[in-house]
Amino acid sequence: MFKTFLILLSLLFLVDMAMASDYLFYFEGQGIAGYSSAQKKTIYYSMEPDAEMQKPSLGFDYIKRFSGETGDIATLAVQGRLALTVDDNDNYTVEPQLYNAYLKIKTPGPYVWIGHSRPAFGLSAYFDSHALLLRTIAMQGFGYDRDWGSGIYKDFSWGDIAASFTTGSGMPVYFKGNYMAAARASYGVLNQDNMNLGFSLGYGRTLETMGYELIDGDPREMLLAGADLTILRNNFEHRFDLLAGKWLDNETYALFYRFGVNLFQEGQLKIEAQPTYWKLGGDENYQLSLCFSSQVTSNVTVRLGYIYDHDSDDNRVLLQLYYYRLI
Amino acid sequence: MKAVILVFFLVTTGYSLGWGAVGCDLNDPDRDVARLFPESTGYKTVYVSVARKGGESLLLRIQKRLGDKFHGIYETIDVPYTIYEIFRGKKKIGYIHGVNQKGQFGGIQVFLAIDPEGSIKAFYIQKMTSQYAGKLRDVKFGRQFMGLTLRDFDLYDVVTGKASGNVAAIKNPVAEAEPDFRAALRATKKNLILMDEFVYSSHPASSNPGGMQK
Repeated sequence: MFKTFLILLSLLFLVDMAMASDYLFYFEGQGIAGYSSAQKKTIYYSMEPDAEMQKPSLGFDYIKRFSGETGDIATLAVQGRLALTVDDNDNYTVEPQLYNAYLKIKTPGPYVWIGHSRPAFGLSAYFDSHALLLRTIAMQGFGYDRDWGSGIYKDFSWGDIAASFTTGSGMPVYFKGNYMAAARASYGVLNQDNMNLGFSLGYGRTLETMGYELIDGDPREMLLAGADLTILRNNFEHRFDLLAGKWLDNETYALFYRFGVNLFQEGQLKIEAQPTYWKLGGDENYQLSLCFSSQVTSNVTVRLGYIYDHDSDDNRVLLQLYYYRLI
Repeated sequence: MKAVILVFFLVTTGYSLGWGAVGCDLNDPDRDVARLFPESTGYKTVYVSVARKGGESLLLRIQKRLGDKFHGIYETIDVPYTIYEIFRGKKKIGYIHGVNQKGQFGGIQVFLAIDPEGSIKAFYIQKMTSQYAGKLRDVKFGRQFMGLTLRDFDLYDVVTGKASGNVAAIKNPVAEAEPDFRAALRATKKNLILMDEFVYSSHPASSNPGGMQK
């Protein structure tokens, strides 16, 4: 995996040497540390040691446009990290992670992507949370924030439609009879109408994974319906996401609401509060989260988060320093 | 072990004295290009930054032309500006360029569609979360910018808000949104100056020379 990561990185630079220009390359670095009351110790991750969510890491974000004489043809996006994983016994490993790794092709109809990108389901179909402390439903394990496969999407003046067919494995790739088909239609262009209301459907046989860890090698039935809503008004943000149906062979319900307020004219301070509830089979749980984000400079964001997990009776405080800079 | 983590933590955060930011892209370039340039057949996306184009001396010149300093997280030297070069066949027929600007309730994004002579074909506010955004996004408001050039905005003082000539004729459609109205005017002047430096000067923005085809 580490070799694959290095080869991919090398290929990016080779592409640039050959084709020159029309790209953006960002460096990303983050440090994270916190305290978990359930574990009674310092932790160096935001969710779990095996989860892909925040850990101390160094990474990059690369976007390249391919153009012909008459315009753009395709976009390549690769976003990777080398993350430091510190487990509960204080053993540590360096883990390569790939988030975006897709080629998006412009066609006369919809855009077509192939690679590792967002499945067309729920809020995570368009809301980027790969650097945030607070978890979306997909990050919590109900669906996948990124998945391997292919998808299409098309924007309209009234909203957009998207569909994807992916492996149903999340960060790693497995072929064990697993697959996930998803589709989402939404009303409203968020950047223009300040609202977006989406409805999603998903069907397949998916694998239970956490980060790159395969928890269960047998594909399980997925049949989910979801609805999500984002409303922006003045300096307030509201995001709702809910899903219901069958996930990993279990009757499942999940509900999430995130309220955010941006302070100062450039949004240098943001406060977010988020309750999340879910029921998976016979297991019920809820979490309450709070996060203060301060964009100290255009490169550096400091986040201070608190997460209460009812099931484990864990009170967790997290501090994240996040650095993102154009090279 | 803790020392390793601490070093990692410091490395990732200590390397943070520079400045940088993300750019301003069209939400749906296909749709917006077709709407703003109905005669177009394609577009090419290029990225330009003040840092790469001319560095500190260019930044000083831009600030002097703007009549105000660049400040805050939207106006750093390495902001990657996204310029859409619009084509009809192989002929370049204009540009679309957007800038981020500090608004009343966070950042706003102001896009201009500009013809090869540097005259505004269309004014378009993409992101604006104010409850009055609808008024400032209205076609009637945007129409007031059509045909204006950088020469018109040279007569607009972005600090005091005082204007003369054609810019003085631009009316704010809603009094409560005065901060966003002035932000939109400042963003327009900034946008035109950046385009002048990146494209209409002697050094075209793209790798394909011919930025000022007529």
